[in-house]
Amino acid sequence: MSDGHSDGMDLEALRDGVRAVLTEQASHEKVAAFTNAEGVRDEPLWSQAAELGWLALSADEAHGGLGLGSSELAIVYEELGRALAPLPVLGTMLVVEALARGGDAAQQAAWTPRLAAGELAGAVSMLTPGDRTTRLTLSAGADGGVTLDGVAADLLDGAAADILLLLAREGEGLSWVLVEPALDGVVVEKVATVDRTRRLGEVRFDRLALPAGRVLMGDAGQIADALLAHAALALASDARGGANAVFEITLDYLKTREQFGKPIGSFQALKHRCADHKIALVASGALVAEAVARMASGDPAAGRYALAAKALATEVYARVAQDAVQLHGGIGYTWEHPCHLYLKRAKLNEQLFGGPAAYLDRVTDLLLAAA
Amino acid sequence: MSVQTATSPTTRRFDPLACKDDLDAFRAEVRAWLEAVVPADWHARMTGASEADYVAFQRWWFAEMGKVGLATPHWPRDWGGADIGIRHQVIIFEEIARAQAPNPDMFVISLYHLPATLFGNGSKAQRDRYLTGVKERGEVWCQGFSEPGSGSDLASLRTRAERKGDVYVINGQKVWSSYGAFADYCLLLARTDPTAPKKQAGISYFILNMKAPGVTVRPIRQATGQAEFCEIFLDNVEIPVADLIGEENAGWAIAQSTLSAERGLIIFELSERMARTLDADLAEAKRTDAAWLKDDEARRAFTRAYNDMVALRLMIRALMQEIETDPHMGSTTMPTYIKVHFSELLRRYTEFRLKLGGLAGQLRQPIVLGGGHQTGNVMHDFLLSYAWTISGGANEILKTMIAERALGLPR
Repeated sequence: MSDGHSDGMDLEALRDGVRAVLTEQASHEKVAAFTNAEGVRDEPLWSQAAELGWLALSADEAHGGLGLGSSELAIVYEELGRALAPLPVLGTMLVVEALARGGDAAQQAAWTPRLAAGELAGAVSMLTPGDRTTRLTLSAGADGGVTLDGVAADLLDGAAADILLLLAREGEGLSWVLVEPALDGVVVEKVATVDRTRRLGEVRFDRLALPAGRVLMGDAGQIADALLAHAALALASDARGGANAVFEITLDYLKTREQFGKPIGSFQALKHRCADHKIALVASGALVAEAVARMASGDPAAGRYALAAKALATEVYARVAQDAVQLHGGIGYTWEHPCHLYLKRAKLNEQLFGGPAAYLDRVTDLLLAAA
Repeated sequence: MSVQTATSPTTRRFDPLACKDDLDAFRAEVRAWLEAVVPADWHARMTGASEADYVAFQRWWFAEMGKVGLATPHWPRDWGGADIGIRHQVIIFEEIARAQAPNPDMFVISLYHLPATLFGNGSKAQRDRYLTGVKERGEVWCQGFSEPGSGSDLASLRTRAERKGDVYVINGQKVWSSYGAFADYCLLLARTDPTAPKKQAGISYFILNMKAPGVTVRPIRQATGQAEFCEIFLDNVEIPVADLIGEENAGWAIAQSTLSAERGLIIFELSERMARTLDADLAEAKRTDAAWLKDDEARRAFTRAYNDMVALRLMIRALMQEIETDPHMGSTTMPTYIKVHFSELLRRYTEFRLKLGGLAGQLRQPIVLGGGHQTGNVMHDFLLSYAWTISGGANEILKTMIAERALGLPR
């Protein structure tokens, strides 16, 4: 996530507003209906998110955005995670950030306003810490254009996207290239994940000719670092929101469900697990908030905090969601109950843009470099 | 060990509190004072030190801190403190940790629990007499809460206090009193009304003079081999009525403020020291190209602990902000989260170091007294971590409290 260049907005008002809309428009019933219908994105909700300016938060004001930064974005991600909202916001915001960092004036003018307005949804290559391999190659094409060959797999929100930003090898170096799936010869295959609130996409290119102006000029490695930090904070925020939500549902259940003549929440073995979860939520939440604050203030160590927050928050989410199913007993294992939706989202979050081990390894390297 | 400072006769006077209006200058002065006063070789000198040397060193360090106003800076001015804000407190702790200065752990009850207890409950005479005693004479306090058999069910305590004229007569036994063998006074809980319908309701809070007739102290040797804890036997000990804190039978609520002091500020200093320890361990591993840096499992265990340490410090900072708004209460739940998180992290991290220590870590070695959890003796530090998961309310008790009070789960 980029650092904002305004004074920010009332964060709690933003949170209340987003939550109110999602409580109504992304209720558990609506999310369940969406997942049963196998859609790629919730169109009415997407339109509403666009109208409300959620997708315009981080884009520059010159391109129809609000020019805000990580603090505001993190709140949206957290609330989307809380509601399990089936929206390709992350992919879209990543393309906005890449354009801001590496796009020239023409590219920004061409794409950023439409992304900020929700006319286009975006998706970017699946990056992971410490791994910059790509199966795409870029070579010079006709009329100053480029030619793209190879495969881009594991594109988060790829099936729902109108514009793809892909990392490709160009000679010895790396480049980010913008591709519209609507072009002739491009087909994005929908790849189903067990978490039905999100989809991956896969696309194959066979000497696809792209016109000039499709390659970002900024340093590809630096853009990749920034996108990875953005994705890490987004997933950490999603995890924070989801973990708190599923924990609250679980607490409510433990207070009301009776067995052996009393509420099961009165049993010490269950209480201690809840206390452990609460402490983990407070601790990981503090780290996520710190990472967001450092990103917003442009702190040089923000990237390391973002990666650490992703590792910790997604692991905590997975732990809380796993135990939520168990603590709900049989009902938590049913398709009707939302527990499994949180569990699946938590487990996917752990793996998106790299798994916990990759994050820990990268954080260790960064700590060692600073030691 | 002879107690002497590292300062030369020409050393200038230090006065951090004089520059408290400028945080940077304040930090610089604290740092300069620490550089001048903390003996560079104190770790080595205290390694394997006798109990007498340890006590002498603690008293010397407390006196040095007092000379520059840094023993009781957090106390209100009316009580002999400097009334400094939480931001100054943060700086002092950070610099003490940075300098790896001694931990004045013999004075923990004197510095934190005593003022927290007397605040709002103690009489003016009590505050004048006993806070002055700590500040000017270095009086050591211990805590007489736990009893054999009461453990974490503190309210079940059985030590009796019976009023007879101008005194209360105390009979009973206390246990797990840290530094009880060196203490001048004790914060004592005793039962004044055995017939109270609720057992918490019949408890009173007293100041016990450890030199009073009928007080017998017996050290308990603990798993580390040290004898920090003591048993205290009370046989017809007379406590003047003037040394009752608050109202008779109202001791339970006062004890809660004593305990919350333990769960907040003290862990702040420990967390700063822990942060230094992890940073130092990593720097040392890098410098020596330690084998564990090539072991994925160990690297990840380290970084998990590191992330938890960062989270701990952030939680403590959040608590500090609450305390800044409400100096003597703070959050009702955050200190408990912090205590459990800190102690479990300490257990995990000391065990991590123990694993890295291999067989060498199992060999008996002299330890550094007063070194906190950075004694460098991995087995000792690991054993000592139990002091944090068990004392101050066992973590299991605190988790039940969190579940019931913070999460609203039914009793």
